[in-house]
Amino acid sequence: MKQQLTLGIRLRDDATFDNYFAGQNEQVVYNLKLQDEPYVFLFGENGTGKSHLLQAACHQTGKNGFPVVYLPLAEEGLMPAMLDGMESMSLIALDDIHNVIGDEHWEQALFNLYNRAREKGVNILVSSAESLTSLNIKLADLKSRLSWGPIYKLTALTDSEKQLALQERAKNRGLDLTDDVVTYLLKRSARDMTSLFALFEKLDRASMVEKRKLTIPFIKSYL
Amino acid sequence: MSQPIWDQCYSQLEQSLSAQQFSTWIRPLQAVFAGNDIMLLAPNQFVKDWVCEHFLTQIQTTLDSLSEQPPLVSIEIGSDRSIQDSGKSIRPDFNTSDQKPVKIKTSSTLNPNFTFESFVEGNSNQLARAAAQQVAVNPGESYNPMLIYGGVGLGKTHLMHAIGNELIKHNPDANVVYLHSERFVADMVKALQHNRINEFKAYYRTVDALLIDDIQFFAKKERSQEEFFHTFNALLEGQKQIIMTCDRYPKEVDGLEDRLKSRFGWGLPVAIEPPELETRVAILMSKASLSHVDLPNEVAFFIAKRLPSNIRELEGALRRVIANSSFTGTPITLEFAKDALRDLLALQAKLVTIDNIQKMVAEYYKIRIADLLSKKRSRSIARPRQMAMALCKELTNHSLPEIGDAFGGRDHTTVIHACRKIAELKEEELMIKEDFTNLLRTLTT
Repeated sequence: MKQQLTLGIRLRDDATFDNYFAGQNEQVVYNLKLQDEPYVFLFGENGTGKSHLLQAACHQTGKNGFPVVYLPLAEEGLMPAMLDGMESMSLIALDDIHNVIGDEHWEQALFNLYNRAREKGVNILVSSAESLTSLNIKLADLKSRLSWGPIYKLTALTDSEKQLALQERAKNRGLDLTDDVVTYLLKRSARDMTSLFALFEKLDRASMVEKRKLTIPFIKSYL
Repeated sequence: MSQPIWDQCYSQLEQSLSAQQFSTWIRPLQAVFAGNDIMLLAPNQFVKDWVCEHFLTQIQTTLDSLSEQPPLVSIEIGSDRSIQDSGKSIRPDFNTSDQKPVKIKTSSTLNPNFTFESFVEGNSNQLARAAAQQVAVNPGESYNPMLIYGGVGLGKTHLMHAIGNELIKHNPDANVVYLHSERFVADMVKALQHNRINEFKAYYRTVDALLIDDIQFFAKKERSQEEFFHTFNALLEGQKQIIMTCDRYPKEVDGLEDRLKSRFGWGLPVAIEPPELETRVAILMSKASLSHVDLPNEVAFFIAKRLPSNIRELEGALRRVIANSSFTGTPITLEFAKDALRDLLALQAKLVTIDNIQKMVAEYYKIRIADLLSKKRSRSIARPRQMAMALCKELTNHSLPEIGDAFGGRDHTTVIHACRKIAELKEEELMIKEDFTNLLRTLTT
């Protein structure tokens, strides 16, 4: 029989500025929070929290009742037509833009979106795994628009910061992750934060289903 | 009223969907309340279809659970204009088949910050600016149509808005319409779909000044070209001012009808060139003072030297330095700026060294690097050498004596002479100007 979770017990990790573990990126977070720049380009390797920050920006603007949109361009099935009419938003967050760069239709649609957004005074926040200079953008006009605002680089967390980040997330869920457990996890998983958080998520679920604490023996049996 | 129920439903969805799903599909929806029912407005067809398929049932179920008499939810494409536009758009909305007479609002889509005062003048844009001012004073008379052309990020749009703002200053009732050519095309397509093409035509033919950005995007859109052609003629006949920008000389745009190409050239086509170093510094200084920031000269020179070809990039770099300084409370010094722009400049820094410039120039003119450094004074060697020296001054932070040294131990006065010579020749000889621009572009992108 399938094991069942009791509804409502599990807390969700909302992506907000407050629960972003900044490490050396404090300044970037500070600047993003101010939201006083209409166009921002954010880049950093995988697992540096780009999506988290974009969603946090949406959360901040959205909770004041303004329509905002977060577009994960890495997702399959999205089309350039997805950008139509988006200038009616207050903030447009375009995540993982590197996935669509090089595609003529997407580049054209993004360029058009920038123009419409400027006309309406809409903010655009962009993230990419690659810096603007290394992105192979075909449409020079688009490149120039992407570079209009400030460009921030996100720095990956060090191992000790990752440890703290995991412990902080656990604490927010009312769990206590000992140093031993975290060190154990760091040695046995891909060490980017996306994978680590995903693994933690799975372990948290499993521990709840089996009603066991998150200890090394439990993790061993699970992995 | 259904609003409180919707607010509850919204919070519940936020709890039950992933943060990503919620931000992608639910946050963009705007709720409109009619009696007990709720209409959700999606920004486009794609979002509407997706929400319909994946979330609408869940939304209705949630609403059902929240009230004895639950509101009925539906979804349409649109946006709540009363919140969104707050009178910003001057153009009628051709995206409906609503045939009510179009009321034109008085406020415009011009950016009030783009004025002649905030436009930094230099050799590269002097002519364009002077012409623009003429047009602003005598619209429809002196230069009609006016066409500003040049590469991306050089200030074409700024100049165009400056004219528009000036026109409105002189005549607050003037109907000045600014739009991107893509928007013209989109509006026309919508007008066709909704059977409002006559209204569309009538609208564009009654404006006092039409400002159209990036006309190269009309390329290969024949129906739009046709429509624009007629609008264009009607406005010219009525002595209404037309101002256009293009990223190159219109004759060079593929897919543009010949009759349009020739008409675009009727009035005054003026070029904006990439700004020279001193203008780039002046631009940075002016932007900094607008933000009430004290920018030391050496920092302005540092940034300007590294970002030679595009004003938007220049502005982006400056904003970043300012943001970092306000965060840390540190005054802006050269060291601070270098640190703040480390990532941004890493790529450029690698490329632009004296060695690199010499190598590139030698390749470009098909001579050997040894020739550049030699004592030879024949023109075929001396000219490229002068070009390389001028580029070194433009793009690196080396002092003139250092540059002289790197070219076979020459005196710094030789470098000064080379820079002057190239500056002079750029004015007189098209070839030299092209060589310089090409080399600059290769070295910095």
